[in-house]
Order: sequence, then structure tokens, then C-alpha cells
Amino acid sequence: MTIKQKYIVDTTLRDGEQSPGIAFTLKEKVAIARALDQLGVSRIEAGTPAMGKEECQAFEKIRLACRYARIIAWNRMNLDDIKSSISCGADIIHVCVPASDLLIREKLRKNRAEVLEQLTACADFVHSANKELTIGLEDASRADRDFIVRLTQRAIKLGASTLRISDTVGIMSPSAIKACINQIPAGIDLEIHAHNDLGMAVANSIQGLRSGAKYADATLFGIGERAGNCNLEHLLIATKGQLDFGIRLDDLRLLQEILSPVIFKNRHTVHSFPSSLLAR
Amino acid sequence: MVTIIDRTLTALHTNQIQVQDLSHFCDLLFICGVTKIELPATLAARLSLSGLSGNTGAAGTCFLIQKQNGRQQLFPNDLVEQNFSGNALPDIARRKIRLTGMADLISRDYRTFFEALLHSGATTLDLCPSNSMHCATAIALEWIFAGGSSVSCAFSCGHDFPRLEEVLMGLKLRDSASIVGDLSVFNQLRNLYEKMTRLPVSPMKAVIGTDIFKVESGIHVDGVLKNSATYEPFSPQTVGSQREIVLGKHSSEQSVLYKLREQNLSETGAKSILKQIKEGCSQLGRNISDLELYALASEVKNDHQTEIYC
Repeated sequence: MTIKQKYIVDTTLRDGEQSPGIAFTLKEKVAIARALDQLGVSRIEAGTPAMGKEECQAFEKIRLACRYARIIAWNRMNLDDIKSSISCGADIIHVCVPASDLLIREKLRKNRAEVLEQLTACADFVHSANKELTIGLEDASRADRDFIVRLTQRAIKLGASTLRISDTVGIMSPSAIKACINQIPAGIDLEIHAHNDLGMAVANSIQGLRSGAKYADATLFGIGERAGNCNLEHLLIATKGQLDFGIRLDDLRLLQEILSPVIFKNRHTVHSFPSSLLAR
Repeated sequence: MVTIIDRTLTALHTNQIQVQDLSHFCDLLFICGVTKIELPATLAARLSLSGLSGNTGAAGTCFLIQKQNGRQQLFPNDLVEQNFSGNALPDIARRKIRLTGMADLISRDYRTFFEALLHSGATTLDLCPSNSMHCATAIALEWIFAGGSSVSCAFSCGHDFPRLEEVLMGLKLRDSASIVGDLSVFNQLRNLYEKMTRLPVSPMKAVIGTDIFKVESGIHVDGVLKNSATYEPFSPQTVGSQREIVLGKHSSEQSVLYKLREQNLSETGAKSILKQIKEGCSQLGRNISDLELYALASEVKNDHQTEIYC
């Protein structure tokens, strides 16, 4: 059997850190990114620079600490977010586009035409800074399939290198992932971003990769919002001998052992809120 | 209607568990939509169930509890387990079979395999895939979506079967009419499971984890407050739980304002409070408690008053 080459986008530092109760300091973010880089992760989604000064500083240091991996900055679909990401030196500017009518209507309070227009403005801005653009279809699982096709066509036209298919609320099944990807026009690399709300993030990622995705998003220990993201270790176990991510399972396990006290520091130490912050 | 067999009790050391808890556990399983509960002979002897007149068979034998006319009754489990790991499907025509193994099925052409199973001529065909490759729930659900009529699962983790709560929720989200159970007992089931096993269920365990409805990041809080369906696959009430907005490194000013209002605290200095929350939570790697928010809000308020009156 031919072992296919695929790639990991590690989002421990972005989606993983959004897990309630998990938060990293600047130093910890840099240490985790350096370790992921040495592990063989292809792309590291290091955070959201729009969060503020410390996040931007972390990006600059991560950029210097990583020798191989390309560093992704996550952005909402707005120019201020993207400006922050460009200024802190990210390699790849990822723009997250709400794709379902539910998110477009309820969260953005916009319509589909406005989304396409705003996406175009964001892409132009990214290209003006000579940065690689990737586009994420947020809530693709609940989006209208025709609109996904339109968004994909627009992403290709706008010169995006990768299209992220996000099962934002983790409700897809492997067959649904396959059906979704089969409808997406060719001409752009695909990335599968699965959440574990129904315990199927690993299976859905595998099906996404088998259906043609080049990248799979994952996190250390599967941490992430709600029930978490695709667990990198579990993905490697389940695809052993079939897919090659350039990451050795033994190395990953060792890394997780080392990083566990950092990632789950709230379980290892019981501290009260720093008194230095209360004494003013 | 799909047959859902729960095997949790076959995977636990039940000797030390009180009969009262075991009976309650079975009651809750039936309420959430389980069709049959599998249990070992030793346990069947401890539960006062009608059906076998005290004859619970040899050690190692398993039985099934099934509800008939509103009463739980014991039946012999006549499914023959057959492990499947290869490509050639064994001859299972006219047999009552439970197929196990198949851990890597998602990495193969499972649809063709399911088609072959559906045309195998088996009298009864129950699937209980192994979870050694973390795909058992997906295999079980895909089997049902393909037309399969029976799956075996078990509650929570600590076993090698599909997760019952994930399978039931997967079915409910796909077609709410496909299951008759009330999933709001999941919260009670988890508490009872933890009591019986003396092992905590992971807070982020899919469907039943205690933290899965905690919302911290500003983007998600914004969405959930506008319409909870934006970032929730199902409502917390569906599984007997509640949503909680928590404050941490990823919170926004809007989240802080929401929490201050919720706690009846002064909204003065929300920006300053947020800054301190972000710093403190990064250092501790956790969220801020309501008590800590109260302390922070009081400090900031005092500072503002000092500035005004000095």
C-alpha cells in the first residue's frame, strides 16, 4: 500500500488555547511552538494577533524560534485584525469567513453579498503586504452547498493557497465530510478542521484527508473549545501505515509528556489569583 | 427503529457497586433511549429481574435486559460474537451475529463493506466496532446511516466500544425522530457513572463533559449571546446541563460586562478588569472565579472612587 504524504496544521496555540481553563504565557507559547516545529509540524497556527500586544510579541518570538514550520495568524474577516497579523510578521494570514447563513445573519448581521465583498477587501489587503493568504469556511457543515462553491470560486480567484473546511460545531460525519468535499471545485489545496462534539473529529479528519484534503488541523491532547479539536496523537495512531505527516508517534508522545504540565498547569498547581495583580 | 444495546455493565467491575445504583443506572439507560442492556451472568443474579426464573446460566454468559410492557425482563443474549479484521466477510447467513473489531474501517471503503453486510443474509446483525483507533462512534453511526439496524455501545470511556452518548446524540442531530429517548438524563448518568466507577469523566468529554458548555473566547461569547446555536451543536438543556460564560485570557470587554451584570457588580473599570484577568489567567492557566471577579471589581471601583474624591 502506498503511504500518502499529508500535513498537519497544529492549532494548539489558537483553537486549543480557546479551551476554557487553558491559557499560555508568552514564554509558554514560544516553547510549545518551538517543540512543534522540531516535531515536524508543517504549519503552526500560533494565535490571533488582534488579541493585543502580548499576542503580537509572542508571534514575533515564535517566528524567530521556528526553523521549519510556517506560522499562521488567525483573523476575523476584518482589516484591523489583518493589519495586526501583518505587522507581527506571520507567514500566512488566515481569514475566517462565516459560511453558514446562521452565522452570517446572527453573528455578522450581514448577507452573503456583503460577505463576498468583505472577503475580497481582506484578500486585497493581504496581497498588498505580499503575504500568503488562506481562507477558512467557518461552520461549513451547516452552510448552503451552493454558497460553499461560490466562496471556493472566490477564494481561488483571490489567490488563496488553501481553503479550510471547518466543522465548527462538530456535527459532521465522515460521509457528510466526503459529500461536502466532493462538491468543492478543484484548484485550491484543502484543509480539514474538525471538532469533537460527537466524538468523531479523528474519523472526520481521516475522511477529509482521504477525500482529498492536503492538511488536517489538530491539537496536542485534542484540547479546544467545548469537546475539543482533532487529537493529534489519535490521528497518528489511526492513520499509521496509511498517511505520513512527517511526525513520529513516539516523538509526539514524549513531547506531550514534557508539555503536559505547561498545557494543564491548572491541574498541576493550585494557586489563587496573583495577589500582585490585586494589590494596586 | 434502531436497536441500541448498552454494554457498560459488561466492562465494569460491578462487585463493589450497590444494587440500588446498578438498578438506577439501568433505569436511566432505558430513559435515554437504550433498547437493551447487556450484563454478565454474575450481575444478572444480583438484580431482581423476571424472565429466567432464577436460572442465570453459567459464569461468563451474558444476558440482555429488555423492557416489555413497562417492565424490565431478562433474556439470554443469543448474539454470537465474531471478530472481523480482514477483508473477506465470513459467511454469516441465517445467523445472529455481533461483529467486533473493524477498528480501522474508516480508513477503508466502509460503504462497500456495509453494503456487503446488509446483503449477508444474517438473521440479526449487530455492530460493535473497536475504539482502538478512536473511530468507533463514527463507524457505528455510519453503519446506521447505511441501513444497519443494531449497534452495541457503552457509556462514557474506559472500554473499547462506541460511546453510547455520542451515538445517541449523533442520531438525534441527524433525525430527532430516530430515537425516542430523553437525553437530558445524561447529566445524571455521568454523575452516577462517576460514583460507580470512582473515576472522573473528562470535563471535555464529548456530549457529557462538565466543561463543554463553558464559553470563554470573546468571539464565541459574542455569538452565543446573539444566538446560542451559532457555536453550540445542541442546547445544554438537551443533555441536562447549563451554559456558563467564563472569564479568561480570551475574554472580551463585552464578556466582562456581561459577567459584572450577572453578578450585580459595578460596570466601572471593565477595561482595567479585563487587562488584569488576561494577565492573571495566563499565569495560572485557568479561568477566574466569581469570587475573584468580585475582588477585582471591588479593587477597581475603590481606585476609581479614590481618583474622584482625592
